[in-house]
Amino acid sequence: MVSKKKKKYSSGEGAQFMTRKAALKKLQLTLKDFRRICILKGIYPREPRNRKRAQKGAGGIKTLYHTKDIKFLLHEPIIWKIRELKVFQQKIRRAKSMREYGKVKKYFRDYPEINIDHIVKERYPTFVDALRDLDDCLTLCFLFSTFPSLKRVPRDQSMLCRRLTIEFMHALIVAKAIRRVFISVKGYYYQAELEGQTITWIVPHHFSFQPQSKDEVDFKIMSTFVEFYITMLGFVNFKLYNSLNLVYPPKLTAGFNSDSEKALVDEQAYVSERIAAMNLSLAKVVGSNEVEEVPEMDVFETDDQDPLKIEEARKEAEQIKVLKTLFKGLKFFINREVPREPLVFIIRCFGGEVSWDRDHFVGATFDESDESITYQIVDRPSMDKQYLSRYYVQPQWVFDSVNTRTLLPINKYLMGATLPPHLSPFIDKTKDQVYIPPEQRALNDPDYKPPGDDDDESEDIEEASDEDKEEKSDEESETEEQILTKQYQAEVAQDSASDNGDEEVDEKKKLSKEKKKKMAVKTGITHKEHPYQKEIEDKQAYRLREKLVRKKHRNLYKSMKAGQEKRKQDIWLLRKKRRLHDEKVKEERKAEKQKQKAEALNAAL
Amino acid sequence: MIVEKKKKRVSKRNKTAWRKHSDIRDVEEFLEEQRLEERLGRFDTKKDDELFIVDTQGDGDEEDKPDIKPLSAKQQKRAKLNETPRCFQILLPSSKVEDPNKKRNIVKRFGTKPTALSKLTLKRKIENGSLQKKIELVKKNMKISRERKKKSKVVRETFDKNLWGQDLLEVKGIPETLCEEFISTEAQLHNVLTTQRLRPKPPPPKTVVDRVAIETPHPGVSYNPTFKEHQELLQDVVQHEEKMMKKEAHINRVTTKMFRRISAKSKENQWIEEMSVGFQPSRPQDESDVSDNEYRPVNPPVQNKKKDHKARRKQKEMILEKERLKRQKIDKKKITDIYKLRKLNTSISTKEKRLESEREKRESKKQAEAKTALPALNAHKAPVKEPDFVPPEQLSGDLRSLNASTNLLRDRFESLQRRGALAASKVMMKKNRKVKSYYKAGHKVTDQDVEKYMQNVNKKVKISK
Repeated sequence: MVSKKKKKYSSGEGAQFMTRKAALKKLQLTLKDFRRICILKGIYPREPRNRKRAQKGAGGIKTLYHTKDIKFLLHEPIIWKIRELKVFQQKIRRAKSMREYGKVKKYFRDYPEINIDHIVKERYPTFVDALRDLDDCLTLCFLFSTFPSLKRVPRDQSMLCRRLTIEFMHALIVAKAIRRVFISVKGYYYQAELEGQTITWIVPHHFSFQPQSKDEVDFKIMSTFVEFYITMLGFVNFKLYNSLNLVYPPKLTAGFNSDSEKALVDEQAYVSERIAAMNLSLAKVVGSNEVEEVPEMDVFETDDQDPLKIEEARKEAEQIKVLKTLFKGLKFFINREVPREPLVFIIRCFGGEVSWDRDHFVGATFDESDESITYQIVDRPSMDKQYLSRYYVQPQWVFDSVNTRTLLPINKYLMGATLPPHLSPFIDKTKDQVYIPPEQRALNDPDYKPPGDDDDESEDIEEASDEDKEEKSDEESETEEQILTKQYQAEVAQDSASDNGDEEVDEKKKLSKEKKKKMAVKTGITHKEHPYQKEIEDKQAYRLREKLVRKKHRNLYKSMKAGQEKRKQDIWLLRKKRRLHDEKVKEERKAEKQKQKAEALNAAL
Repeated sequence: MIVEKKKKRVSKRNKTAWRKHSDIRDVEEFLEEQRLEERLGRFDTKKDDELFIVDTQGDGDEEDKPDIKPLSAKQQKRAKLNETPRCFQILLPSSKVEDPNKKRNIVKRFGTKPTALSKLTLKRKIENGSLQKKIELVKKNMKISRERKKKSKVVRETFDKNLWGQDLLEVKGIPETLCEEFISTEAQLHNVLTTQRLRPKPPPPKTVVDRVAIETPHPGVSYNPTFKEHQELLQDVVQHEEKMMKKEAHINRVTTKMFRRISAKSKENQWIEEMSVGFQPSRPQDESDVSDNEYRPVNPPVQNKKKDHKARRKQKEMILEKERLKRQKIDKKKITDIYKLRKLNTSISTKEKRLESEREKRESKKQAEAKTALPALNAHKAPVKEPDFVPPEQLSGDLRSLNASTNLLRDRFESLQRRGALAASKVMMKKNRKVKSYYKAGHKVTDQDVEKYMQNVNKKVKISK
């Protein structure tokens, strides 16, 4: 007997994929419902390796799904719920068109809700998985929290978004989890670290709604995404609050209860309510201890014992420890022209206290006249009444301080000053072999001093075109400024981490003493170690080690080395150019000065 | 012509034969009459006034119109409400046949009338106070059920369980209805849903997993960027724009510019020329032709000149000679190639090496492209990411006067498409129906009416615009 002929595309790639239409037929759903369930369950269309075969010989580009995915969907109990919904929708539509509004109301009352908790659990089996996928969720939730009720977005969605985002921010404030901030033209980029996962998200500026044009974005789809993300964020919040020993749900201001929804139609009122809510401290679980401090990092014996790496990690941990209490004990007052939302969030995140004008916005905790205020954040060129007891700084100072992880000197951020550029903290650290001009280097690293700074040359270059008469006074003011800066840094150092610094100094002294003891020459031993000799030996050892590189990797190693050398050369060349240029300018200046002096003398004579 | 006589005698032996030949018309008539009488009543039992009308008017011309106002349309409709509808009339009994079972129990619909017994029990219940209790209980139950429904709706807003905890029953897949204290663990475990374990979900596509949701921003998009970074971003933008322009130019070149453009006038001229081909005698083109004055066909006849034997032989010989020389050359090359072997080897190997390296390059390039390639999930293409750039004159450098330029929602939407989480699509807008309206002309329509109507139409158009 002849065996039955195998049908084409019944196995292999042709059987692996399914067009969307076939999937709809298999699941007996409408396209709308199918889209929804795909988004909720995390089923995505696929790109096949061989399209022709996957489409069973049909041409064109069709949306394909994995057959396995569709079969997986087939067992979802929500599908039955969706079919139930369809019946209700039909009933409502009919009642509406028959003008039986009593019935409509009843149907809406009994409208079945879909519970998707189990899907969250299914898609993110562990808490860390959920945290890892929080970027999109947070960005969309923050965005939707600015939306008024829209046609294709359920009414309660934006309200819920508002509440959940505020709750999440509170969790971050308590956990002190924010690591970086960046103000872009798009919005505020925040980066937080929770349970070892870095989460980045964008918050739009101002919390104002921009009208969206309909043909750009499919609102229905986005709102379905948000529907899932809301549930996810809710449970993440719950877990976060639990782990931080906080009571969930937190009691926020009146604006976040569903009853007062109508009261806050005004956008401004809503925003101020939201910020006020952020300035509250949350209720802790009764009987819980304070979150204990993270102990010193232990060093474990691992396979790759790279002392450099370990050192780096230790440094990073130390920096983060400092960052967490950056604004502790400091009191901020925010002027009314400054966007308060991000500032309040950031300052509270690092332990500062914030307040604002009591007359204009709700939720102020202290007045402007409070003498214990250390910083007032101002975004205007001048002010009539100024207190001597506080610094008046521009908002960028806060963000830059967070990014550099120290309190920056305020002299560049004073009221009315032209601000230094706001640098991005999201830089690729692997690309460190590039030339950075001294001005920028000074910005990145506050400890760095540009060469020739002692003679105030770096600043002089910028003002080369200025008149000479002003120069002297300028120089004086600059020196004053520098003195101020140093003083300020010393003050801050004393204030914030005086004990730490002392310990370090003590340790250094001890070390130096020990070293001195060791260096003492004992009688009878004539051997003397030449540092130069040692260097040479080290170099030789290094070369020997280089020879041990496998043949497989040798070429790669060589090219890497050559690249490094080339980049070094480039940097050196640019630095040299800069030095020569500086010297030349300096000399020219000197000559001009002398010339002018001579002229002045001549005139006097 | 044969006329069939009617048979005088016929056999009525069978039932069918009997039926066929016996005349029962009178019997049937009688029965019919009887049935009619049963239905409508006997004629002689009817009263006179049922059968006759007293003519009070006579045949006179004058007709007394009854002084009844005609009903308005609304009243007519109201009156019709009480009537049984026409469609139900057929269902009503029209027969006068009496009910054969006169003692039939009339079953009243429940609740239409209290029975004696029910009256008694009701009285007793009221005296007891149990009825009052029952009513209250029902009310309470209704309230509870309503509240429960309401509460279940609010569930979505309250997140009150640790989804990632170990001890939660719901997490284990036990249905919500069984998550109560008094249900035994066996019963709970028995009802565990099998949904999660039935089929493993295939891993999500690579593009969704690998590509980050929030890309690290270019340092030049800072609200107060350094000059250098801003310039770098500007360079990116310029490159992007140039690429797009090049693409557009290419499309233009390949489509629109591929076709010759003709002015309207020249097109018309061409048309005239083509259409008037046969009408005018073609002008003589060469003057020499005219002078010759002799007829010449366009294609003069060709003579089939045959080759003779000699020519054929020569041709054959030539072909053979050519073939021989070719062979010879090949044979010679074979011999020389033996000495060239090493050279050949090297040339082959170098070619192979070259091809290999080329292939590697191509593959690495392909891989690099695949890393950022937009997924083709649909006939539509996902939009290419455009760098968000703010021109320097719009950069104020302070937070107060910052104006957001980009649409973040659109950015998210496109990012989802670029990651392959959504198939790229064009949002189809619903087109507003264009409804043409007319004014129905009638004999009473004045110009003013038309004017008024037109004004209304214009207003509507303006509003819709």
